[in-house]
Amino acid sequence: MVSTAPVRAPARKPADTGLGERAMGRIFLAPSFAFMAVIALFPVFYAIGKSLYDIRGLRQEFIGFDNYARALTDSGFFNAVGNTFVFTVSSVSLEFVIGMVFALIMHQVFVGRGLTRAVILVPWVVPTAVAAQVWRYMFDHNPGFVNAVLGADINWLRDPAWSMVGIISADVWKTAPFVALLLLAGLQTIPEDYYEAAKVDGANALQRFWGITLPLLRPSIVVALLFRTVDALRMFDFAYVFAGHSNSLATLSVYAQRFLVAEPQLGYANALSTVTFVIVMLVGLAFISRMGRHMVGDVAPRKEKG
Amino acid sequence: MVLGLALATACGEPPGEDTEGSEGEGESADLAEDPQFIWAVTGADRQIHEDVARLWNENNPDQEVDIFFLAPTADEQRQAMFQDLQSQAGEFDVLGLDVIWTGEFADFGYVESLEDMRSEVEDVSLEGAIDSAQWQQELFALPYSSNGAFLYYRTDLIDEPPTTWDELYETGMEAAEEEDISAFVGQGDQYEGFVVSYLEKYWSAGGELFDEAQENSTFLEGDAAETALDFMIEGQESGFFAEGYDSMVEDDARALFQAGEAVYMRNWPYAIPLLEGEEGEESEVAGDFAVAPLPTFTGEGTTSALGGLNNAVSSLSENQDLAREFVLWAATDPEAQQILLDHSLPPTMLDLYDEADDPDFEMLGDILADAQARPPVPGYNSLSLEIQENLHPAFLGQEDPEAALEAVNDAAENALEQE
Amino acid sequence: MTEQTVRPSGARVRTPPRRRRDVPPWVVNSLKLLGLLVVLVWCLFPFLWMAMTSLRTGSVAITEPNIFRGPFDFGNYEQVVELGFHFSLRNSLVVASVTTLICIPVASLAGYALARLPLAGKFAILALTLVATLFPPVALVNPLYQLYLELDDLTGISLLNSYAGMVIPYVALTLPLAIFILTTFFSGIPKELEESAKVDGATPFQAFWRVVAPLAAPGVGAAAILTFVYATNEFLLAFSFAPRDLNVQTVPVFIGTFERVGYENPIGQIMAASVLVSAPLIAFALILQKRIVSGLTSGAVKG
Repeated sequence: MVSTAPVRAPARKPADTGLGERAMGRIFLAPSFAFMAVIALFPVFYAIGKSLYDIRGLRQEFIGFDNYARALTDSGFFNAVGNTFVFTVSSVSLEFVIGMVFALIMHQVFVGRGLTRAVILVPWVVPTAVAAQVWRYMFDHNPGFVNAVLGADINWLRDPAWSMVGIISADVWKTAPFVALLLLAGLQTIPEDYYEAAKVDGANALQRFWGITLPLLRPSIVVALLFRTVDALRMFDFAYVFAGHSNSLATLSVYAQRFLVAEPQLGYANALSTVTFVIVMLVGLAFISRMGRHMVGDVAPRKEKG
Repeated sequence: MVLGLALATACGEPPGEDTEGSEGEGESADLAEDPQFIWAVTGADRQIHEDVARLWNENNPDQEVDIFFLAPTADEQRQAMFQDLQSQAGEFDVLGLDVIWTGEFADFGYVESLEDMRSEVEDVSLEGAIDSAQWQQELFALPYSSNGAFLYYRTDLIDEPPTTWDELYETGMEAAEEEDISAFVGQGDQYEGFVVSYLEKYWSAGGELFDEAQENSTFLEGDAAETALDFMIEGQESGFFAEGYDSMVEDDARALFQAGEAVYMRNWPYAIPLLEGEEGEESEVAGDFAVAPLPTFTGEGTTSALGGLNNAVSSLSENQDLAREFVLWAATDPEAQQILLDHSLPPTMLDLYDEADDPDFEMLGDILADAQARPPVPGYNSLSLEIQENLHPAFLGQEDPEAALEAVNDAAENALEQE
Repeated sequence: MTEQTVRPSGARVRTPPRRRRDVPPWVVNSLKLLGLLVVLVWCLFPFLWMAMTSLRTGSVAITEPNIFRGPFDFGNYEQVVELGFHFSLRNSLVVASVTTLICIPVASLAGYALARLPLAGKFAILALTLVATLFPPVALVNPLYQLYLELDDLTGISLLNSYAGMVIPYVALTLPLAIFILTTFFSGIPKELEESAKVDGATPFQAFWRVVAPLAAPGVGAAAILTFVYATNEFLLAFSFAPRDLNVQTVPVFIGTFERVGYENPIGQIMAASVLVSAPLIAFALILQKRIVSGLTSGAVKG
């Protein structure tokens, strides 16, 4: 960031630039991989190993894949898969639509834009622990703030359908700004003259959005959806704060946590975590493969000034 | 980025605090210079546990204890304890266990049998508390604190506290209609408190969850299960339970009763000083309420669910003798138990209730003498969840009561299973 | 943020006959204003609820849904400060800052390597980066705790109850998003700039440090903010590794494990703590909104 920083003299002459760059690439990647290998990969192998045991307290017994077989006959597990799926699809699509609206607003030029941008970002900055408590109490039937505002009489925390609406609202509120940020970044890379040209051609606002904005925004959309989807699939906080381990809201993470802490059966819990991991990984990889290879710079970008 | 860091460092030193000064500040209890063993106990009511530990340290300067305060919430407490036990870290010597955890910790081999100390607490501690500390007739913990339920009622509306649930229902409805308030508030949310509310009615109709040896479910023997559920369904339909009862927890009920919005309330003793307006709280009912034992279906006796904490000795402790000594002391030393009483946390020592000059506490002693322990079976958590998930919808009229009771019976069988 | 500048096919933008707008501009403007108001209310009403609840004392907060009904005072704030909230605020800021300071340089290097340097299997590396951190956070706790204990046994370095015990996993878990953002940023910077630097005799490292890094600064800032926010948000690991010691306990843990007396519901105090943590973060968002937004966007526009 300080461009005038003195540069250390290179140990070798950059005679062979290709080799130098290749070595540099490996060196540049090494720290990232060191961190991720220790913190992120070790637990995966650990969990897979533990998932092959029946663990009750201090006793453990090797049982092969029985824990996975158990998951396949466990209605609680399928209930959690269902809840997770409903939550992910609804919250991510809502966050996408609302995030897009936010991004378009933030992209506009108008008086008070700075303040509006800040306000839109605020929910995302607030710690999840805080947001979860605030939303939980706002929905709580006693005293019933949300009910009073809506003039309704709904048990938001316990009714299975409405409580799902509750955590989706809370999650959308919290993370739509994150989507908006990533989309806004993409919006600003679209050169203004495309729109000018389209206007000259007589395209209306909606046509310009479909014809220019959406296709050019595709890489940002994919990154935003990717990170939102893998996060939503592992959602824990809101569901747990709203309804504890109750089946009505138990997501895969909540269900796994139940067997980690509330009814400790570590073998089964780790099998559930591994299954969750595989599901999330498949979805993540599906996204990445659709994203194409342009991200890693295989496509040389042309630059145009707006 | 730079601005962000500037902000971070600007806020990094809280005003009025220099870094050196903050060293060690707010550290857990800091009770001992050289602690010989660690007591892991809930961070709820931490002042009381601290005072108890201080008293031990005064008496045993060479064998001081330090406290590891766990989070005040059950899941977080368990996570911290399992983390210590499962990883064989063995940092904790004495474990403060909720009364419903005994069977599970015993079954897991996490805690030592204290059966040889039974004679020391028998006839000294509350019977229900001892029940809650044993699993399949073996003692795995010793009583420390207790808790039982009162029926709170409005003395300006009710002359005599009712002795049967039916009487409670009728007098409550009548007074509620006259005053245009609710008849009854209590723990109706879908959580452990609902399980307790249901079980109190179940027990008071003569029901028992398990046979003596804790090997079979007897949940559906007799008609107690049905009687209890029918009463609750009826109460919900007819508006006996206050609006919002189905999402009410302890403090919601307390606040409503305090605002003069209800005739009756089922709650723990903690509400008394608040309702009297003692702790700087405004109370509409100060001087206009009293407590009584919960009624039963027959009019005989009272049945409250028993809460509280038992202390167990970790099987990983390297200081088990000392830990056992401490656990026994905390259960049987009059001075230690008196500290609980002084802070309105019900102790487990019987003598203290006889000597108490507070009539409410004397009554609590009687209530606790008849209180029922929720069976601390290894699968208690899943049993409780099943009761919540089946009986709560049935209570709200959303599901068939019979099927719900059958499901609970199955869950009770499963909760005993040991592999 | 994106380098894709392929012109949309002309076929997609149809050319309908130009329609004159019949709607007068004041209607359009007031509709826009209304929309804006809806957005502001949606984003801010939870804060209004939070702030009002934090000021309400006694039982009124759990019996009366109308948040404008008092009594009001600052009692909750006094109690929260007494419990040592300011320490956890400091801890959160330290943990988040250090996490950011480590994560961003590390991610910048990786992002640059992936965007620019000739490496085999870059696409697979990027995919692996993401996959590595997809394990459910609830299931990370147990193995990491085990790892920390082993480390303590082997080296005597205890990561439990320390800033490092949180910072290390946070860095690892925030790396993928940071790398993804920075990779797209670095690919957005014209290669010609580096080429010409190299023609002038710069080493690859000099080309990176002197030419590319300054241009990517806004993107770096954006990734830094995302990392910072993650680290101030995290609860599970912080709770498991630094649960009680106020010298290291972070804000989410402080709020999540709020001390209670009996069954009393400390909602007013929880909300007071929430306001105290939100206030600096909101100020942060207000001051930095320009930086956040331009940071995310100007990198690709630059050059």
